[in-house]
Amino acid sequence: MIKLENIEKYYANKGVKNYVLRHVTTQINKGEFVSIMGPSGAGKSTLLNIMGMLEEPTYGSYFFNEEDVTHLGERKKIELYRNHIGFVFQAYHLIDEMTVYENIEAPLLYKNVSSGERKSRIADLLDRFNIVAKKDLFPNQLSGGQQQLVGIARALAAQPAIILADEPTGNLQSVQAEEIMELFKKLNREDGITIVQVTHSEKNAGYGNRIITIEDGVIKEDLKIG
Amino acid sequence: MFKLNLKIALRNLWKNKGITAINIGGLAIALAAFVLVMLYFTYETSFDKENPNYDHVYIVGINYPEFKTDYAPAPFAVAIKQNFPEVDRVGLVKGSSFELTIKNGGNTLFTSKILTVDCNAAKILNINPSGGLVKPSGDAERLNYLSNESMKILFPDKKDNKPEIVGFGASNLGITGIIAGSIKNDPHSNFNFDGVSISNKLGNRDNYDMNDYTIYLQLKPGVNVLSLERKITDLYRAELLKNKVGGSKDELKGISTFLDPLSSLHLKPKAGNNTPYKILIAISVLGLLILLIACINFTNLSIAQATKRAKEVGVKKVMGAFRFQLITQFLIEIFMQCFAAIILALILAELVLPSFNTLFQVQLSIWHLGNDLFWQLPLILSVITLIAGIYPAIILSGFKPILVLKGNFSTSKQSYVLRNSLIVFQFSIAVVFMISLLIINSQLKYMRSQDLGFTADEVVYIKNISIFNDPLKFEPVREKILKIPGIKSATVATFVPSGQNGVNSYVANGIKANIDFVGVDFDYFETLDIKLKKGRFFSREFKTDTANSAVINESAMVKYGIKNPIGQTIRGCNIDYKIVGVVKDFKTQGFENIVQPTIYTIKEPCGGNKMQIMLKIEQKMMAGALATLKAQWSDINKQDGEDFRYLFLDEMYGKLFKKQEQLQTVFFAAALLTIFIAILGLFAFVKYITNVRIKEIALRKILGASNFQIMKLINSSFFVMVLIANLISWPLAYVLTKKWLSTFAYRIDMPVLPFMLSAVVTVLLTIITVSIQTNKAVKAKPVDALKYE
Ligand SMILES: Nc1ncnc2c1ncn2[C@@H]1O[C@H](COP(=O)(O)OP(=O)(O)OP(=O)(O)O)[C@@H](O)[C@H]1O
Ligand SMILES: [Mg+2]
Repeated sequence: MIKLENIEKYYANKGVKNYVLRHVTTQINKGEFVSIMGPSGAGKSTLLNIMGMLEEPTYGSYFFNEEDVTHLGERKKIELYRNHIGFVFQAYHLIDEMTVYENIEAPLLYKNVSSGERKSRIADLLDRFNIVAKKDLFPNQLSGGQQQLVGIARALAAQPAIILADEPTGNLQSVQAEEIMELFKKLNREDGITIVQVTHSEKNAGYGNRIITIEDGVIKEDLKIG
Repeated sequence: MFKLNLKIALRNLWKNKGITAINIGGLAIALAAFVLVMLYFTYETSFDKENPNYDHVYIVGINYPEFKTDYAPAPFAVAIKQNFPEVDRVGLVKGSSFELTIKNGGNTLFTSKILTVDCNAAKILNINPSGGLVKPSGDAERLNYLSNESMKILFPDKKDNKPEIVGFGASNLGITGIIAGSIKNDPHSNFNFDGVSISNKLGNRDNYDMNDYTIYLQLKPGVNVLSLERKITDLYRAELLKNKVGGSKDELKGISTFLDPLSSLHLKPKAGNNTPYKILIAISVLGLLILLIACINFTNLSIAQATKRAKEVGVKKVMGAFRFQLITQFLIEIFMQCFAAIILALILAELVLPSFNTLFQVQLSIWHLGNDLFWQLPLILSVITLIAGIYPAIILSGFKPILVLKGNFSTSKQSYVLRNSLIVFQFSIAVVFMISLLIINSQLKYMRSQDLGFTADEVVYIKNISIFNDPLKFEPVREKILKIPGIKSATVATFVPSGQNGVNSYVANGIKANIDFVGVDFDYFETLDIKLKKGRFFSREFKTDTANSAVINESAMVKYGIKNPIGQTIRGCNIDYKIVGVVKDFKTQGFENIVQPTIYTIKEPCGGNKMQIMLKIEQKMMAGALATLKAQWSDINKQDGEDFRYLFLDEMYGKLFKKQEQLQTVFFAAALLTIFIAILGLFAFVKYITNVRIKEIALRKILGASNFQIMKLINSSFFVMVLIANLISWPLAYVLTKKWLSTFAYRIDMPVLPFMLSAVVTVLLTIITVSIQTNKAVKAKPVDALKYE
């Protein structure tokens, strides 16, 4: 599904190249649940952002579903977001002016999903995540964990093949975090959704079936578990 | 999608309702001003547009080496018609400003403008009597029509269209005539009249040396005007040569003709000045600037909200929103506000329209069918939506998701520069208007307080149709007038102050020069309270005064370079005048024109007729004296009969100020609006900024900053911006007002105060506005602000 070949990323600062990623070559297959780990500043987020095409590597190639997406125009990228990729953020990034329902609905609107289909999908998600009662509330009326649930529901609404999540539980209490991880696991197992998450917690990483460890921009370890 | 965007936009606006209201209100005010300007612009540029021949009508004017004129000789019209088949019709028009009294029983009409036209001109200019244009029989007959309004005065109950017999002049004269019917007088036309006299042919007995008609051509469609213009010039020179008028062939080279389209006649006639056009353009620019300033408020608020909106952009893109979808969303938001503003603006404009109409002496209305506004408004709406929305549409929508999602996003430096430049721009414009207004005020104040050299108060000007060229003829009239209590003096002259004088050539001290002349009677200077400089005024004690005495003004003395004028000779009109007195210059023609060298004589054989009666009446007894005059007028002045009409000289003179007073009002409105809208924008802007910075302010307080220090911190950047705005506007305002002042012969020196004052006012307003907002943030307890985390 994702194939990275010799990815390099550096920031030039006064002529000095500060490498964030070096010679990253890896492949993520359909149905995997991958956790990226490593110390702060190692380049985890950068790697995930490159996978999400939010950043471009300075060198190397990136294939998504066999297609070279290393340098893609904004419109093409957004089409991929619409149909294949869902994002979950540490800071949730819900839209404050929209209710829970509308936040989940937004990606479907951009995709021009019919209104009947939208209704049933959202109803299904609300039901599954146990937030039916909250559907008319605004993000600032929810707890962090609830907000993240909405964030995941939103990412799932468009029925993506892969979910990219950067420290999805970073701002959450451990109970809530567990809940989210259970959810990820279920999505991965039952719906076959590929998941790539960045996490600092061994425990969270344990929910997945593969751990990639990065240090100083280099893949130190790539471990299959479970 | 559209529905959701709409809903979210409304929610967004509601959340910031104070700011939204301020922005919409500001825009509405600016739009109202703009709508009025548009109405006025459309009105001024569409004179005579109802004429079906509008695009094909031209005036034939003549270029002389020194000036251009629309007056041409009547026979030339015939020659043009004979020579040029591409000319469809040729018509002749003559306007008279001769006062005429027309009577029907007890109803009296005073006409001041009768248009004399031939049949062709009536067709060309679309002058149609109700009931249709009728050809007069033969060459001599004239069909006289009155405007509908005039007709109403004479025949209030008239319903039909039948001809009527009326009396001309005082009833005791017994002159009658026939009015053939009525004609609609369109105030939205260059051809205004109280009545029209139509004949088959005009100027039959005229020669090429009599330039007293205006020739109108109606060209066939598709005619090359420039080449026709050349051909007409050739024809004109040939005709002049043939008729031995206008000098030798070489001298004729300096004379040419021009064709001036009907569409230029109202605003920028070739033979005339284009000041009305310039004023119209100036007003339109004012309207545009005010609108622009209001639109900038939107942009600035968008910039203030950019950090927050950028996050939204990033998230939505990642959710699958294309850039154009975001652009649409932003524009819909702005559009809704602009739409609300336009509705408000129409209401406002409707409320202000009566005063606007009075100021510009027009009859504009918003709600009438066929008003161009109905297609202009949607256009304006789209344009302002684009202008106000250009920042969010172009900059905000272009943000890359990664910048925002990484979390350390803040608006770029360019945005700050843009925001600050826009604020500086707004205030610069506002300051220019303010300085201009203050300078216009000073000049007008100067004009009102200056010694004119004569006193117009208490002077009543009586309109009259009798000619009093001989002082002996006026003497009995004067005697009767002076018997009325309160009347201090009476005189008669060829011209009244506030109007134009005659010009003639006089020789003195070996110098020949064209100077103004005024034929006067005894007591002229006393009535107008004009100051004597040397010698004496006219007096009945000197027999020669009625034969060849002259009084000149200081400017004439200078013009002829006469040191000791008393007793000297000045020759003109075949008379050797002896100068008996010199009067101080007095400003009869306002402040724009320099006082002309002028000669005043009692015997005035080659100028106008002495018909303008002026009386000095004691203010306290004014009402009584006027009533008595009216009652006795037919006895006092038999020929003029019962038709006693008067004007106050100070009011006539005040009319010379009218244009400047209009300008003053326009600038007052413009200065007020721009300042107001700019401050409104600043208010909303600071309100938003402090909301965002409330945490920073709280932190600073915890770190020990005093309230004053915080106020100073927030104020200082705005203070600097407004100061820069002032520095930018000063030279601009200086150049503009200097130019305006130079249109006055008598003017104030460029004052410094307006520049200082506008700086002080704008800085104070800014500090007050900013402080009101920051004060709230500063007063808030730090805990409250920091609690929400
Ligand atoms: N725009 C940038 N310019 C320069 N350096 C950058 C930029 N963005 C990231 N970096 C650097 O790249 C390195 C990797 O950053 P990244 O966010 O990928 O780290 P991370 O592994 O996600 O760390 P954390 O666990 O703290 O989130 C860091 O040293 C950071 O300073
Ligand atoms: Mg990170």
